[in-house]
Amino acid sequence: MERVTPVSAVIETFNLSKVYEAALRGQDVHALKKLNLTVYSGEIFGYLGPNGSGKTTTIKLLLGLIFPTEGSIKILGSTDIGSAAVRRQIGYVPEGAYYPDFLQGEEVLRFYGHLYGLGGADLKRRIDHVLETVGMTRTRKRLVRGYSKGMRQRIGLAQALLSDPEILILDEPTTGLDPIARKEIRDILAGLRDAGKSLLISSHELLEVELISDRVGILSEGVLQTAGTIDELLTNRDVILRVANVSPETFDKLVAAGIEIEDRTEGEAALRVPDNVSVYNALDICRTANVTLMSVAPRRETLEELFVRVVGAAQKGDA
Amino acid sequence: MAAVITYLRGSWTIAVYTWREGMRKKTLIGFLILSVLVIFGSSFMTAFLTQTQIGDAETDMDVRLIKDICVYAISIFGALITIFISASVVPNEVENKVIYTILSKPVRRFQYLLGKFVGVQLIVIINLALMGGLFFIALYLKQNILPTLLLWSILLTYFMLLVISAFTFAVSCAATSAVLPTIAGLFIFITGNITEYLKDVWAKSGQTGQWFDEMIGQIAYGLYNVLPNLQNFSLRTQILHLQPNDPPRDILIPNLIAYGLAYALAGYIMAYWIFRRREL
Repeated sequence: MERVTPVSAVIETFNLSKVYEAALRGQDVHALKKLNLTVYSGEIFGYLGPNGSGKTTTIKLLLGLIFPTEGSIKILGSTDIGSAAVRRQIGYVPEGAYYPDFLQGEEVLRFYGHLYGLGGADLKRRIDHVLETVGMTRTRKRLVRGYSKGMRQRIGLAQALLSDPEILILDEPTTGLDPIARKEIRDILAGLRDAGKSLLISSHELLEVELISDRVGILSEGVLQTAGTIDELLTNRDVILRVANVSPETFDKLVAAGIEIEDRTEGEAALRVPDNVSVYNALDICRTANVTLMSVAPRRETLEELFVRVVGAAQKGDA
Repeated sequence: MAAVITYLRGSWTIAVYTWREGMRKKTLIGFLILSVLVIFGSSFMTAFLTQTQIGDAETDMDVRLIKDICVYAISIFGALITIFISASVVPNEVENKVIYTILSKPVRRFQYLLGKFVGVQLIVIINLALMGGLFFIALYLKQNILPTLLLWSILLTYFMLLVISAFTFAVSCAATSAVLPTIAGLFIFITGNITEYLKDVWAKSGQTGQWFDEMIGQIAYGLYNVLPNLQNFSLRTQILHLQPNDPPRDILIPNLIAYGLAYALAGYIMAYWIFRRREL
């Protein structure tokens, strides 16, 4: 199916702040500080941040489970986020939620379907559809007790899809899953995005997020530090030169020129030429010293490196 | 009208789920088994005693003993089951995050609470029916008279449990675990059964002229006026001394039901007032 280009905002927050007031003489916790976040239609937005950065607080505010201290939220153009019409358009999968293990997968979905006001043939059709979407058709009659972690996560996803919502909010959807289950969930999420859904994924799994997100936002200390497409954010593009027959003196010259030495072994090394250093300069030094050049490859900064850099800077600034 | 039906249907869905889940709780099953053992045990015990005694007077004593044990068993185990389940349904759902998946759907907090409360009542009613049914059978087998008075007693016991349930539930809506609401439920059960003593404390206070004595008296008087008098719901004396098929005497059942409902409604309103702006 053809990708839907992000066109309009489905989630917007305006100077959203949340302060948890301390009991007795404790200190108030400023969980969120003037958050301006936008999630567009048809995109996967990766919402990243370390523990305690305010990700779950944001999600709870979006769902109306807690109330903002300041600021406002607009979902699908409506500020009445508690209304049934808006709620019907949001599917939520919390992290590690419990689904009644004495029920069959299908019964769990029937319970949640009734909460949407669905019933009869309509509900049955929806259940069939979501079970197919998450690949659980064959295990629908099994008790949740016998489900693996990955299957439970898929049932969680299925209950969130029952009303065919426009927006899906997922809290750590792949945490604790094995690589195969992760891949399966990732494929399902990408499929949902391709079907036109908008997804907000809060996660610690940076590689997973990098693989499927269209845009990411990094939250730290309750502040959205940066947000944008992966290409916009991962601007640092280094070049890696794999070389051999490098003398210690040549290494010294390379380091003096601002080149980083990685994986140094006897006479061999990977030279990392940062974005701000000319690769020709590095090549000149190597040629003059008769170094054997084995390969030249561009290397983009990973999301993990960006994350560590951004969060580290935010924490230093806060300290 | 359709909107009201949809609204109530959501609550009923939650109520049935609460009931199905609650009936599987090991603690509740434990209390139920214990109560059944006590009810049957009392019959066996008196059967053993009658082998060594002869005469109608002794047999009457046996039946009275069974009645006494069973009335207390139903009241105490019923209260424990009620407190345990009322105290835990909301905090447990916050802990296992089921509440997030429910309240993120088009479900109002009032609807959710109503469903939870009705679900608790289903559990309480079924357990009470089981215990009362066993007692009813045991008594019928012993006396060969349909113990209709017992049915009235069971009905009133339910309204006592409803009051306890509503207040325990209200406290649970503010709590993060079931511990505090369980303590609150036990407090209501115990103090609600000794309100007459509280009145006595107030009547006898102030005799020493000390401020502390006065204060205790005032607290006792305040509690006497605020707390429900759960003794009003007890037909124990009548069950012990009247014929099993006698109608209840000296009480107005509709008034007692209204009294129970008024307290339960107050408890439920308190629960909603706490829960409607609670941060989850």
